[in-house]
Amino acid sequence: MLVDFRPHSRLRGTTPIDITTALVPVVEALSEDSTDLSKVRLVCDWVQYKENFRDVVALRPILARPERLPGNDPVVVPAGVRDDDLEVAVDVRRSAELPLKEHTAELLRERAAGGTGGRVLLEDWGAGSRSCIWSFNARYWADLALWEKSTGRGYEQALPGGESDARNHDAARDLIRKLFAVWDPLADTGALPEELYVVELGVGNGSQAKVFLDEFRALDTEHGRGYYRRLHYLMCDYSQHVLDLARETVAEHLAHVSSFTLDATKPRTSLGFLRYKVFLVYISNVYDNLPTDEVAQLGGRTYQVQTRAYLPPEEAAALADQANTTTDDLAALVHKLLRLGPALLAEAAPTHVADTDAAVAFWRAAWSAVRLDERYVPLAGLDLYELTPASNGEPAVSGEMLRPLLESGADVRMHVNNGALASFVDSLQLLHPFGTLICHDLFVTDVAAYRANFRGPGKYDGSVVNWVNGPLLAHVGRRHGFDVHYAPFAHRSGGNIITMTAQVRD
Amino acid sequence: MSAPRNAALMERVPLLPTTVVGSYPVPEWMERLKTDYYRNRMSHAQLTDLHEMAIKAALRDQELAGIDIVSDGELRRDNDVDYFLARMPGVEIPQTAKEFYFDYYEARVPAPLPDRFDPSPLGLADDFAFTSEQTSGPVKFSFTGPFSLSRRIHDSVYTDRRELVLAIARVLNAEAHALADRGAQLLQIDEPFLAGYPDAVGTAIEAVNIVTDGVDVTWGLHVCYGNRYARPLWQGHYDFLFPAVLDATVDQLVLEFARKGYEDLPVIEKFGWDRTIGLGVVDVKSSQVETPDLIASRIRSALELVPAERLVVNPDCGLRNVTGAVARAKLEAMVAGTAAVRAELTPRIAPAPVNASDASNESPHEEHAETPESVARGA
Repeated sequence: MLVDFRPHSRLRGTTPIDITTALVPVVEALSEDSTDLSKVRLVCDWVQYKENFRDVVALRPILARPERLPGNDPVVVPAGVRDDDLEVAVDVRRSAELPLKEHTAELLRERAAGGTGGRVLLEDWGAGSRSCIWSFNARYWADLALWEKSTGRGYEQALPGGESDARNHDAARDLIRKLFAVWDPLADTGALPEELYVVELGVGNGSQAKVFLDEFRALDTEHGRGYYRRLHYLMCDYSQHVLDLARETVAEHLAHVSSFTLDATKPRTSLGFLRYKVFLVYISNVYDNLPTDEVAQLGGRTYQVQTRAYLPPEEAAALADQANTTTDDLAALVHKLLRLGPALLAEAAPTHVADTDAAVAFWRAAWSAVRLDERYVPLAGLDLYELTPASNGEPAVSGEMLRPLLESGADVRMHVNNGALASFVDSLQLLHPFGTLICHDLFVTDVAAYRANFRGPGKYDGSVVNWVNGPLLAHVGRRHGFDVHYAPFAHRSGGNIITMTAQVRD
Repeated sequence: MSAPRNAALMERVPLLPTTVVGSYPVPEWMERLKTDYYRNRMSHAQLTDLHEMAIKAALRDQELAGIDIVSDGELRRDNDVDYFLARMPGVEIPQTAKEFYFDYYEARVPAPLPDRFDPSPLGLADDFAFTSEQTSGPVKFSFTGPFSLSRRIHDSVYTDRRELVLAIARVLNAEAHALADRGAQLLQIDEPFLAGYPDAVGTAIEAVNIVTDGVDVTWGLHVCYGNRYARPLWQGHYDFLFPAVLDATVDQLVLEFARKGYEDLPVIEKFGWDRTIGLGVVDVKSSQVETPDLIASRIRSALELVPAERLVVNPDCGLRNVTGAVARAKLEAMVAGTAAVRAELTPRIAPAPVNASDASNESPHEEHAETPESVARGA
């Protein structure tokens, strides 16, 4: 049996984890079970998100055989690799909350019996990015106003620290001065286009845009080059509600502002006319909220982490009561909610939710209850795994891009951030040869960091959050001709926010 | 200027000949192997064998697509610069390992470049000879020009950077002589960085004329806006080339239009360019395959400004950044679109069959005193 205790730093300090209560009961339960211990991995995480998709203990099957290759060729399994078939995952932050040994033993018995333990399954197994948790996420942004009304607080208040780094004036001034430094020599040689485009993906309430535009106007007045007159600021967001609010925020700059409702993973679908014309693509706290798969290198093999959303038995029963339905019909009602939204659900299913407020309450309760089962499925080949689909005339990003991150063979499980990757690659196509992409987000900047800390998914309000695989984006950026750098957000200390900067190489 | 020698080559191809700019796709597996070479996982002999097999395949692809003037796909070269600088007498490469084969070397000149060197100092003549042995059709052989090469050299020796450019040009001139001696008929100088330095066009053209000096082949000059990682390095318009480029001793100006649009074509005509235009009709920065109809419409538009006898049809730039499948489809579309236009012109000018004559045995200066327009194929 292999034990991977990831939050090892918490074994020391003033309040160290007591391993005898956090881990030993699980080992005892395993040792008393008939499970082949030579094929078991026991992994411990510290899941820092108060709201998340994990139970305290989870059993994750590790499948043995990948599908066959095209042409029916067999997949080559490297000689000498481990042959695990089960991963037991423990959230040691919460492991004292329940009788750990008995709980683990019960899960092992359920697994042996082949049942689902009374869970209400919301979907079949699939790649993480295809889970219905992303439908919840999309619904949150589509009906943000209803959610905020129900919770009584705005989205930004749910962020750590209570506000977005996007409204930082020092950061905006710094950014604008760098733009001027690029534009001045271009203007001197007649190579500066008449229109100066700046694109913001994910505008929030418009605070960043307002700060940027206010500072831009002021600095341009000092600078005296008339850049503000030529500026076109494009606010882009998935949510029309958000865009409407943002437009109000930047009302005094509206002559220079356009707004676009778009899917951040495919910005060029709406902004294709700006290919190679944008001097700044600005993105703040968007990538961590886009669909992602996970891959894992375990014991010398490469796996895709497949997930399956479910509602635990007790929560499912309560939710069924709340919506005047049965647990058998609950999944269908949840999917109807995700498809229609709470307002229309109230009209379509009045016997289950009396009005919009009741539908929102049902939505919030379902979201709070939803969990993810996981299993590991061997990848037949990196090149057979598409990280992003072909889009807007650009070829798909192949799983081969993962190779440098996995080729050491060391165990690691990490995010692929398919949505962020698609957005990033598509956004690069917008950039002027002298353009820059700036992104503030939760970036993992070293693959080794995945071995020590849990990086998601977690729940932020009604949305999903995952850390973003910085080394993967840097590698893909490099293969697209860009240098990608990471640095802690320079204008606020103590936070987790990292600034990614991408600029053309050479 | 050498209209007759251009005509000698053009007699071997039909009206509106199709060609490539130079580079051909590098498949992902080949990228990995080329990178392996820099990690000492592959020998030089194995790498050479890999390159030669790839070149044969690229030639076959072009021939199957129906391209009239083919190239070796520049498949021996890691990028548009390193192959030349690594072999250039007097240029030092302090670190020869690479993380990724496509990365640029950091090159420097510790002393002025020597003014005496071996015949074929860069070894390109052997490369050309290998390619020409693999095909019976006309071959275009391209190499990066002195101005662009100079931009990738750290120079603390030359007080006047122009002198470095001209010194590189002299090396390239020696190589061009060697290429012509081995039978090259169409040589193309690529200047992918020039558009970023419009003020330097005079120096660049001065250097081009050193490269071509005394080398009796058809010369092309390719100026684009960059294609590294399928991205433009610069934005702008081709008017910066004029009037300086009118003094260039080249026969063809090979330009990028499909991505940028054709607004620059009237400008070029306005400035009095009366030689051949290599008309970019395929966007090499997009994986979307143009239809033959679109290609044909682009050629027809160009024909309103430039007579067919002065047009060569090619992609905007090298195809290295698209996949092999996309490249093949784009070339096939280009050939089909060109054929459609050619058929419309047939009543006016009858095309000669491809390779109808062995122009290499002719003495173009003696036998073709006419202007390019009057020596149109079969006219």
